[in-house]
Amino acid sequence: MNELIPLMVIIPITCALLLNLFHGYSKPVKYLSFVVALILPIIPFLANYGLHFFGGHVPLIDNSLLLNQLPSNISSSIISNFHPGIVYSFNSLSKIFIFFFGIVTFLAIFSYISQNKKVSGAYLFLIFMGVAAIVALILTDDIFNMYIFFEISALTQVGIILASKIKNNYEVALKYLFLGSIGGPMMLMGIGFLLGLVGSVNIADIMLAINSGFVDPLSPLFLLSFGLIFFGWLYSVGLPPFHVIKASVYSKALPSASAIIQGFSVMTFIAIGLIIIRIFSVVKFVNAFIIFFSLAGMILSLVLALSSNDFRKTIGFLAVGEIGYIGLGFGIGTPLSITAGLFQGLNELIISALLFIGFGTILYFVKTSKLSKLGGLISYHPKIALFVLIGGLAMAGVPPLNGFQSKLALVQSALSAGYPELAVIMILLSIITFTVFVNVFHRIYLKPKPLDLEVKPDVVIPRSTVFSILILLIICIILGIIPNIVTTPLFNYVGALI
Amino acid sequence: MIDVQLGALITSGAFIIIGLYAAIFLDNIIKKIIGISFIEEGANLFLIALAYKNGGVVPIFLPGFDANWFAQNSAYPLPHALVLTSIVIGASTLAVMLAITMVIYKKKGSLSATKVLGDSNE
Repeated sequence: MNELIPLMVIIPITCALLLNLFHGYSKPVKYLSFVVALILPIIPFLANYGLHFFGGHVPLIDNSLLLNQLPSNISSSIISNFHPGIVYSFNSLSKIFIFFFGIVTFLAIFSYISQNKKVSGAYLFLIFMGVAAIVALILTDDIFNMYIFFEISALTQVGIILASKIKNNYEVALKYLFLGSIGGPMMLMGIGFLLGLVGSVNIADIMLAINSGFVDPLSPLFLLSFGLIFFGWLYSVGLPPFHVIKASVYSKALPSASAIIQGFSVMTFIAIGLIIIRIFSVVKFVNAFIIFFSLAGMILSLVLALSSNDFRKTIGFLAVGEIGYIGLGFGIGTPLSITAGLFQGLNELIISALLFIGFGTILYFVKTSKLSKLGGLISYHPKIALFVLIGGLAMAGVPPLNGFQSKLALVQSALSAGYPELAVIMILLSIITFTVFVNVFHRIYLKPKPLDLEVKPDVVIPRSTVFSILILLIICIILGIIPNIVTTPLFNYVGALI
Repeated sequence: MIDVQLGALITSGAFIIIGLYAAIFLDNIIKKIIGISFIEEGANLFLIALAYKNGGVVPIFLPGFDANWFAQNSAYPLPHALVLTSIVIGASTLAVMLAITMVIYKKKGSLSATKVLGDSNE
C-alpha cells in the first residue's frame, strides 16, 4: 500500500494539530498521543516499498499525454525525465529507521504521559511535529522539502527545550535558534545554487543531470552549493563548530525529550548525510570533509565530556561524539562502511535514548545533576543502575551488545578500505568513551555518598520509565546477538545506492 | 541598462554579509535578530533573482498561448514557490526569537548577548 507512505508524515502532523486544539483536556490528549505513538512504528510494516508522487505528478516521460503536448526541445531533452512534484521514497532503510525511531518516540511519550497526571498538549504537539518532520526527512527525495522539514525540526527542538522548564533553557533555546537562523539560510542558498545549475530540486533529477554531464561537478557553483548544504548539516547534527550548543540542548530538555531530540539528530544525520553522499560524492574531497568533521566532533566532544561536571551535559557530549562514528562510516565511502555507519546510527538512537532516560531517573530522588555533589546512589535503585551500566557498555562497544557489532563493522570496513589509521583512532576513542562513562557511573553510583547530598529515599521510579529502559535494553541485546536482521537489508539498500 | 538579475544577486550578497556581521559582532540581541532577518531575506532575494528572466512573462499558461513561445519566455516559477515557503519559515523563526527575547529581557533586564547568553551553557 503506497498510500501509507505519506501517512507516516500526515498522521503525526494531524495528531499534533489535534493535540494543540485540545491542549486543555488532559485525558483526550493522553489517549490520542498514546494511540498515535503506538501506530507510528506499525505503519512502516504495512507499507510497500516504492515511490509516492504527490499530486500524482509522475515524471513527464511516464505521462505520454502531457509529453506529446510539449515542445520537442523539452520532450526530447533530459528534462522529460525530471520529477515535477514532490516524491517520497520508501525502502528498507526508511522502514528500519522509522520503525526504531517510532519505538523510541512511543517509549518517550509513554513515560511522559504515565508520569504526569496533567499533560501538556503543547509539549506533545511539539514532539509529534518534530517526529513528522524527521520521518519526512528520511522519506523525501526532494532537497527543498528536506530544507522545510530541517527548519521545522529545529523549531520543534527549540519548543521542546522551552517546554522542559529547566534552568537557563530560554538562553540555550535562543542561542540554538540564532545558529539555526544562520545555518538554515546557508542551506537554502546551497539548494538555490543546485536549483540554478540543474533546474530541479529532486535528488534523482540532480543525480541524473550530474551523471549525464549536464552539470559539471567541479564547477565553483556546485562546490559552493556543497559547502553551504554541508554547513547546514553540521548545525543540524551537532558536529563542530556546533557540538557545544547541541550538548547544551540535550541537557536543557526533560530526559524523555532528550532521548527524542537525540533521535532527531541521528535521523537528520542519516537523512541529510545520505543526500550529501548521493549528490556530492562525485567530488573526491567530500568524503575527506565528512571524515575530518566527524573525527573533530568525536575528539572535541570526548574532551568536553571528560571536563564536564554535569552528568546531563556529559551524556550529551558522549551522544554528540558517538554521532561521529556514523560520519566515519559515510566518509570511508565503501558499501560496507556506509552500512556499518547506518547500523551505528541505529544503535546510537537506541543506546542514547536508554542513557538519557536511565540517567534521568536520578533526578527523581536528588535535586542536582552536578557530578561533584553526587555519589552512593547505587543503594537506592540498583536495578536501574545495572540497566544504565549495560547501556553505557553498549555505547562503549563492549561485546556482545549492539554497539560492539557496529563498531567492529566500522573498524573492519576501515581496514578493508585501506584506512588502518582510522581503525586505530576508532578503537582508541571507544576506549576513551568507555573511560568517560565508567568515570560518570562511578561518581554517581559507586563513590561514597557526600554528607550534604539530600536524597528522597522513598521515591518510587515510575514503572513506565523502568519498562521503557528495559525495552531499549532488550533491543540492544537482540541487535548485538543477531545484527543481521538489520544489517542485511541495510547492506542491500547501500549496494543499490552506490 | 542595469542588469536586474545581477543587481538582485549583488543586493542579496550585501544583505547576507551585513546580516552576518550584525549576528556575529553586535552585542544587542535585537540587533542580532535584525541581522538574522537580513540573512534570511538575502537568501530569499537570491532565489527570486534565480527565477528572473529579462523580458519574461508571468509563468501562468493561459488558453491560446503557444507552448514553444511560453517555454522560451516565461519566468521560472519553482523558486517563487520555494521563496513563499521560506518566507513563512523565516517569519515563524523570527516570531519565536522575539518571544524568547522578551522573556529573557523580563527575567534579566538586559539585551546584551554577552551578559545574558554568556554563561547559559552551564
